[in-house]
Amino acid sequence: MKNQTKQMQLDSNDHIAKIKRLLKGELGLLLILVVLVITFMILSPYFFTSRNLLNITRQVSITLIVAIGMTFVILTGEIDLSVGSLAALSGVATAAALSASGSIFLAILTGLAMGFLMGSINGLLTVYGKVQSFIVTLAMLGIARGIGLVWTGGKPISGLPIAFGKLGAGYIGPIPFSTVIAVGVFIIAFYFMNRTKHGIYMRSIGANTQAAELSAIPVKKYRVIAFMISGILSGLGGILITSRLLSAQPTAAEGMELNVIAAVILGGASLSGGIGTVLGTLLGAMVIGVIDNGMNLIGVSAFFQQIVKGIIILIAVMAKRGE
Amino acid sequence: MSATVENKTKTVLKLEQIKKSFGGVKALKGVDFQLKEGEVHALLGENGAGKSTLIKILTGVYQMDSGNIIIKDNPVKVENPISARYKGIAAIYQELSLVESLTVAQNIFLGHEPVKNVFGQIDFKQILDKSMNYLKNFGIDIKPQAMVNELGMGEKRILEIVKALSINANILVLDEPTTGMSSAEIEKLFAIMDDMKTKQVNMIYITHYLDEVFRICDRASVFRDGENSGTFDIETTDSKTLIKAMLGKELTDEFPERTTQPTEETLLEVNNFKSSKMKEPVSFHLKKGEILGITGIIGAGKSELALGLFGSDKRESGQILQSGKEIANRTPEDAHKNGFALIPEDRKEQGLFLDLSVEHNITVTNIDKVIKNTFVSMKNKQKMAYKTAEKLKVKPLNVKAAAHNLSGGNQQKVVVGKWLSGDPKIILMDEPTRGIDVGAKTEIYKLIQKLAAGGVGVIIFSAEFKEINGICDRILILRKGQIIEEFTKEQSTTEKILSVALGGDQ
Repeated sequence: MKNQTKQMQLDSNDHIAKIKRLLKGELGLLLILVVLVITFMILSPYFFTSRNLLNITRQVSITLIVAIGMTFVILTGEIDLSVGSLAALSGVATAAALSASGSIFLAILTGLAMGFLMGSINGLLTVYGKVQSFIVTLAMLGIARGIGLVWTGGKPISGLPIAFGKLGAGYIGPIPFSTVIAVGVFIIAFYFMNRTKHGIYMRSIGANTQAAELSAIPVKKYRVIAFMISGILSGLGGILITSRLLSAQPTAAEGMELNVIAAVILGGASLSGGIGTVLGTLLGAMVIGVIDNGMNLIGVSAFFQQIVKGIIILIAVMAKRGE
Repeated sequence: MSATVENKTKTVLKLEQIKKSFGGVKALKGVDFQLKEGEVHALLGENGAGKSTLIKILTGVYQMDSGNIIIKDNPVKVENPISARYKGIAAIYQELSLVESLTVAQNIFLGHEPVKNVFGQIDFKQILDKSMNYLKNFGIDIKPQAMVNELGMGEKRILEIVKALSINANILVLDEPTTGMSSAEIEKLFAIMDDMKTKQVNMIYITHYLDEVFRICDRASVFRDGENSGTFDIETTDSKTLIKAMLGKELTDEFPERTTQPTEETLLEVNNFKSSKMKEPVSFHLKKGEILGITGIIGAGKSELALGLFGSDKRESGQILQSGKEIANRTPEDAHKNGFALIPEDRKEQGLFLDLSVEHNITVTNIDKVIKNTFVSMKNKQKMAYKTAEKLKVKPLNVKAAAHNLSGGNQQKVVVGKWLSGDPKIILMDEPTRGIDVGAKTEIYKLIQKLAAGGVGVIIFSAEFKEINGICDRILILRKGQIIEEFTKEQSTTEKILSVALGGDQ
């Protein structure tokens, strides 16, 4: 009898702990998002219209896609600083293939392959070359950007067929096509991370690399795979940018890595690995998207926006850690 | 040695009734200890006997709960390591505290460099000259201009001693100083220690090797269960007496009765096997259903052997035969496929994902078993975790709880649990009961016996000699990387094991 009451106490403690955990995690972020939405609703009558909300999802889609790739890398305890450069280079590769072959399918495949290739190099150098990923991908940030510039002579590849533009700028009914793609990537990544052994292995590696190795998990292989995923999704991001502009800019997506990393960290991931979810990253990207969009609508100057965004990110992360 | 006898009457350091608890655990239960002038005083005792705690109190790392520290008749307070230094107490630990990228001379004067002028310009000439003097004084053949990263392990440790002496330490604690040193280096260290004795440096010497105690020490205090169970004059004692004092009364009822016997079928044969981390190649065999103990003091090479067999370290030579067939075990994944399981030495660092759930910890290794059409079945995953946790009596039986919420014993069950759903054939257990309470220990022992009864071959790597004697069918003793003795259950006693492992007979 005494034991039973003790057990029940334990259970209720468990529930409180669970709620606390949720508040610290995705639920807390959702609350922040709701507060932001309500604030902007009051400040701008245009903000909470279906057209603007869909617009936000379009604006967020590319950041989100790349941030999902980054989530895998950060989950294994690494970092990928080269995502912006990889996106630009993949965009250039896509446009070049499209100009040469005229096949949209082939062009997309080329763009993805470029991202995959460069991501693999990042992973192999980090894991087998034993250089810190911060350094490897910092070097890659310069190298990939440089290849794109040399390839195009610094000029954009323009005059791409209008049909290609549907990908990044088109709509299915009222819904932006790139939003659909981002949602698709999110769903696949969500299942991959939570419901396949691959995701479970990667989370283990980030949580404790040594224990993962001694638990018979192929640690090296999965550390490389994380960079491959980041590479492919950077490539997809680059394809969408190119499609939206109907032109491949070798200088596109400069500084993108910062927004992407901010989204992942805001989503609750830890830079030391093991902690991080795709859902958190989705919410993190949405928070950043809402701040950007809302401040534009109420006419905050672009210079001032940067300060506000930085402060909001700091506060959000500290509030979540503070508990 | 007899020349210094008349000096030994003076007491340099006196510890009275030192008590210290961690949480509810009494680490020191009122320890008395005296260090006399010009002596080398050995601290002996099994792991967890209280030696390290006492040293950490003496050097200001821990604060005692009650008791007195008296240096040369003056009661003192040691609040922190810096205050210990001012009182002339210095400790040299197994982990070195040298800056590898600086010279020998710079290391000796690190933190108290002489300066030339008000701008704080360092007087390098003085550093060099004084270092040269120190080194010459102790007859040490190291150049003060040499970079520390060019020195060998033995030289580095000697340099640590010189560094301590340069700040006028007269109570010097040496914590297993011969670890990683060659026998020539050890001789050199002992020569320097002999010399230091004549220069009124008083030393406390922690070691596991009895032969070292008889070679260099004047007296020895034996620790057992947080108490000083006796101080002995080395000249009038022998290793048997010391070992008896270390063991105390033998408790046998914590080990459950063995009801099955190993089969005659050889499950594993290891021939001249050596990994990159092992010092010497080893050969042994394991039978189906056998509990084999591999023991030796810390640093004898037990963990290295376990990790080598499991494929975590690279193999350099030799072969492993499993049921007569040669196997590779190139990686832990290979080993897992061959039916090997490893319970690593450090549960928290090597065994568990502390922040992840018990379910994750138990299922991750055999996740393939709950995959249906490429997706993990969440239902089956939870079922697998629950069934294993229930079988191992993990408390509380909540597979969603994070592993760090469990007690040490229950955490260890989880580490064992992650292998069980894969039906392992050979289980390597490195210190399976370290840091867990008596009740949980017995449960682990019962589990080991149950596994052996089911035909699993179990190898226990442990420095707990009572445990090895109590639970194993056969015992191999490692010393400095080599298997030097084998006992059957009938032949073995804890005293015999201890005596061979510590090298008291030699």
